[in-house]
Formats: sequence, structure tokens, C-alpha cells
Amino acid sequence: MGVLLEVRSLTTEFATSGGVVRAVDGVSWDVQEGETVALVGESGCGKSVSALSVMRLVAAPAGRIVGGQVVFKGRDLLQLSEEDMRRVRGREIAMIFQEPMTSLNPVLTIGRQLTEGLEIHLGMSGAGARARAAELLGMVGIPDPERRLTQYPHQFSGGMRQRMMIAMALACEPSLILADEPTTALDVTIQAQILELLKDLSRRLGVAMLIITHNLGVVARYADRVNVMYAGRIVERGSARELYANPRHPYTLGLLKSVPRLDEPRRARLQPIEGQPPDLTRLPPGCAFAPRCAFRVARCAAERPALAPVGGAGHLTACWEAGRLDRAPALR
Amino acid sequence: MSKYLLKRFLLMFPTLLGVAVVIFVLIRVIPGDVVELRMSGDRGSASQQAIDEERVRFGLDQPVWKQFATWVWGVVRLDFGTSMWTGAPIGEEIKLRFALSMQVAIMATIVAVLLAIPLGVVAALKQDTWVDYAVRIFSIAGLATPSFWLGIVFILLLLIVFKWLPPMVYTPFWVNPWQNLLQLVWPALAVGYRYSAVATRMTRSAMLEVLREDYIRTARAKGLVQKLVLSRHALKNAMLPVMTVIGLEFAFLLGGLVVTEQVFNLNGLGLLFVQAVAHRDYTLIQALVMIVSGFFILVNFVMDVMYAWLDPRIRYR
Repeated sequence: MGVLLEVRSLTTEFATSGGVVRAVDGVSWDVQEGETVALVGESGCGKSVSALSVMRLVAAPAGRIVGGQVVFKGRDLLQLSEEDMRRVRGREIAMIFQEPMTSLNPVLTIGRQLTEGLEIHLGMSGAGARARAAELLGMVGIPDPERRLTQYPHQFSGGMRQRMMIAMALACEPSLILADEPTTALDVTIQAQILELLKDLSRRLGVAMLIITHNLGVVARYADRVNVMYAGRIVERGSARELYANPRHPYTLGLLKSVPRLDEPRRARLQPIEGQPPDLTRLPPGCAFAPRCAFRVARCAAERPALAPVGGAGHLTACWEAGRLDRAPALR
Repeated sequence: MSKYLLKRFLLMFPTLLGVAVVIFVLIRVIPGDVVELRMSGDRGSASQQAIDEERVRFGLDQPVWKQFATWVWGVVRLDFGTSMWTGAPIGEEIKLRFALSMQVAIMATIVAVLLAIPLGVVAALKQDTWVDYAVRIFSIAGLATPSFWLGIVFILLLLIVFKWLPPMVYTPFWVNPWQNLLQLVWPALAVGYRYSAVATRMTRSAMLEVLREDYIRTARAKGLVQKLVLSRHALKNAMLPVMTVIGLEFAFLLGGLVVTEQVFNLNGLGLLFVQAVAHRDYTLIQALVMIVSGFFILVNFVMDVMYAWLDPRIRYR
């Protein structure tokens, strides 16, 4: 298996009234062929912007990719012409958005919205495109696809719309899908269905996937590898198994501890991460998590730790005190 | 769909009836009636008896509800009666002027749409660049410029620069189309410019709003060419509010161009309206109000149809 997508030192900034916000700050990560990678973090940590930057869909003129490389199948997407980039979108890399209610065009039929990608990328037309669209709807588990093609998004439930989004993403058989919180807006029961569907289809079709989420349960079940983001940077990376068993960054640990668990007594209190995410316009010079961190030492406020290997293969963390976190049961 | 439209269609009739009641009562509340005004022409010497006889002739001596019933029954049969001032059948009085006003309204709407939609879309796409500022200045100037003044400027420019004056006597389109267009294109431009200003600003803001929508990002993420993103995904959504403005403005133009008609020496409905009110020509005022408001209501209905056509969420309700 080779590297499919490699993001190197990607930096994306937004001009706001309060100053320049560096939403993504020199972030590097990669996705191997056929692999599922998760990008985890709180709202506003830069995970969605990372995905939009890969697609070069960051809302201009406020948002701007100011540096880095996005190497996809050997080509740096940031260097492509707008027209070449357009050929990549939907054809090679597809995206699924968070809000199925607003991400589909209310005045166009489902069929129209499914076939236009086929027309533009694969040169299909008329009956051929329609047949393929019906096949796609069937594939994502929408019954009676022929009839559904003539309907409009408002006649679909939230879960159905997200299925439709998945069908749209799979239409041109891309090699990578960026799923930006694909289930956040859905009911819990529907969430599981959608995720199972995504996992099943990506495995069957050999599509690599980047799942962006703040839900650690999703990560544990569906991701091969995990990147934890905080304040625009990746603070920990590793295989999902490794990260759960042995988190080596206080933020990851905090995330894990703030999730309710059925296997613990009900009396056990949740331990939320105290404080608020930092103001991205004025980040401290040291570790951005330091003000909320229980493991903080003097050095944290002055010097920013870089991602460095710890323990098992491919496990990295950006923490001066990672050693103290290593398999310390007292902490958990 | 058909149920929605049927409901809209049937709603037109009570609205029209309401208009009929209001106008019928209102003009009778204004002091002075047509008979007094006509008679006062004879040095105010008309005898009370002559005035009373004239009132009987017009049926003004009848109880108001009876007058109203007679009139409404006529309107239902599309018979508006005769003018109380000139004595001519109202159909005759209005026919040519209606054609003229309607033609100017249609031409002005075409001018406005052709200007407003491209300008509004370009301004939205190039938001905060010089293109956007140029369009905004152009449209604010349009809002600030009265069309009659622009009309005067057109005439003067044509006269001074080209030593040419557009025809000043109305020729119906079906008699001589070229002559007709030579005359009407100028008021259409003058009115259309002002009208386009409103529509341009509406197009721009609607477009800006739609371009921020999630489904536009979805369309881009699918790799659609910019042209398709705009024409298929954005414009259709942005057209809903723009259409409302265009429709209302169009309906207004039919009877609302009083001063501009004067400038271009056009004998349209606006001028006729003013004269009819000055003369307290009850039957003519009533007919004009019914026609103009009926047209307004019809345009509204057509817009409801277009809304349903553009927006499936309305269609399937």
C-alpha cells in the first residue's frame, strides 16, 4: 500500500475583524491507499478547514491557504491550475458534508444532482447517467431508486439525504473520500447506519477515507489511524488501538475521559476538560493546551513541543511531559 | 401543485371585490362630484334643478348600494359603462392608452432584466472589487435619478448631439412598428434604468446570500465548472426574491408613470388617471382602478405560479 495523500506543513489563515486566525498551522498528515484515517478535535480546532484546504474550497477571500503542500498521487494539488483542480474534485477526491439538510440544492431533483457529476467527469449522459444514478441510490440503501430520482431533497429525511450525499460522493469512484462530520446532524440510530454504510462501501470499493469527527466512539470503531487536533495543530497521532490504550497527550487523555462509559459505575463522574479552547488570534508562544493542562510544567508556557515519536510504531505526540503519561494507571 | 394554484387563483376574486368596494366608497367621499364640476363651467349659474336632472341621468340619485350593484354587475360582464365627463364608452377611452402603457411597461421590464441580472451576478461574484463598486455606483445613481429627469436628458441629448428628435406622436405597434419603437424606446430606457437599479441590488444581495449556501460548496466539491455552479445551482435560488421585485415593479409601471408620460408626450394610463380624478369622473376612475389593480393581482398570481415552478418546496405543499 502506498501513500495516497500526503499533507505537508499545511497552513490556512482567515482574515477576521479580530485579526488573522491561523485555523490550520503547519499541519502534516497522510492517508494510505484504502485506509481510513480520523481527524479528531473540538469545534473550531481546524479539522474541517484542513479538509476544505485539501479540496481548495476554503471560502475566499477571507480564507487563504498560505503554505504547505497537498501531495495527492504524486501531484501537489496546491500547484494545480483551477481547471485541473476542478477535475480532481468529485472525480478523485469526493467530499461529504456535515449538514445533509443544507448541503443539497433544494430546487434540483435528486437525479439531477446525482447525474451532473457523472456527466462532467465521466462524459455519461441521458439514460446511461440515470441508470447509474439509480444504481448508486440502490447501493446506499435507498429503496425504489427510480422513483426517488425524480424527487427533491425536501422529500428526503435527514438520514436519506446523507445516504444521497454518500451516493453523490461515490458516483465517480474516487480514490479518497473526505467525510466532514458525516453523522453529527443525525439521530443516533441513523448515525450508526450511515457509518456502517460508509465503512462497508469504502472497504468494498477500496476507497480511502478521512473521517473528521469529534466523536471518539466513531474513531474507535471505524478508523485505522487517528490524528488529534488542537488549536490548528496536530497534538497526537497513532493507530486507533494504540491511542485508546495509551494516550500520550493530555488533551487526548482528556477527550477520552470526558466520554461517558457504560462499563464504569454510574456514580463515576465524567471529567470534562476544564476551560475553553484558546483564542486563535492570540495563541500563547508555548503549548496551546497548556492553560487547560493538568500536567503543565514551566517549560510548556515558553516552548512549543513538536510532534515526536513515543512508544509504538507511528505513535507521535507533541508534549514535553509525554513520559509521565506513559501507562500511568493512576491517571486514568 | 394544482391545488395550490387553484387556491391562489380563487383568492384573486375576493381581492378584486375588496378593491371595488374601497374605490367605490373612496371616490364618493372626496368632496365635489362630476356633475357640479361640469356645470360650474357655465359661470356657476346652473340651477339646482339642472344639477339634479343630470344626477338622475348618471344614476347618482340611487342609493349607494344600488349604484354599486349596478356597477359591479357591469364589471362582471366587462362593461365599464361610459365616461361621466366625455360621455364616450370607457372601453374606447382606455383601449389605446392601455396598449401604450402596457408596451412601455413591458419594454422597460426587458431593459431592467437585461441590465439587472448580469450586473447583479457580476457584482456578487466580484464582491468588493472595482467591478462591484462600479455596479453599485451605477445602480445607486439609478435609484437617485428620477426617470422623468433622465427622460428630459435623453431628449435633449438626442436633439443637441444627433440633431434628431424621437417621434412625439404615438403610432400603435401594429400600424408602424419601427415608428412606434423609435418613440417608446426612450421612455423604456429611462424607466428601465431606474427599475433595473432596484433589481440589480436585489440580484446582487440574493446572489451573495446563495453563494454562501452549503449546497454551492457541495456543487463546487463535485467539480462542476463555475458556469454550471452559477447557472444551475445559484441563479435559480437567487431568482426568487428578484422575481418578486421585478413583478411588483412591472405591475406598478402600468399606471404609475404620470410624469414620465408627460415628458415624452405619451397619452398613457397615468395621465388619464390624473385627469379622471381631477374631473371626478367616477366611472372612469373606477374602471382604471379596477384594471390597474386587476393587473396587479394577476401579476401576483403569475408570480405565485413562477414561485411554484422554481421552488419545489412550494409546489409540493
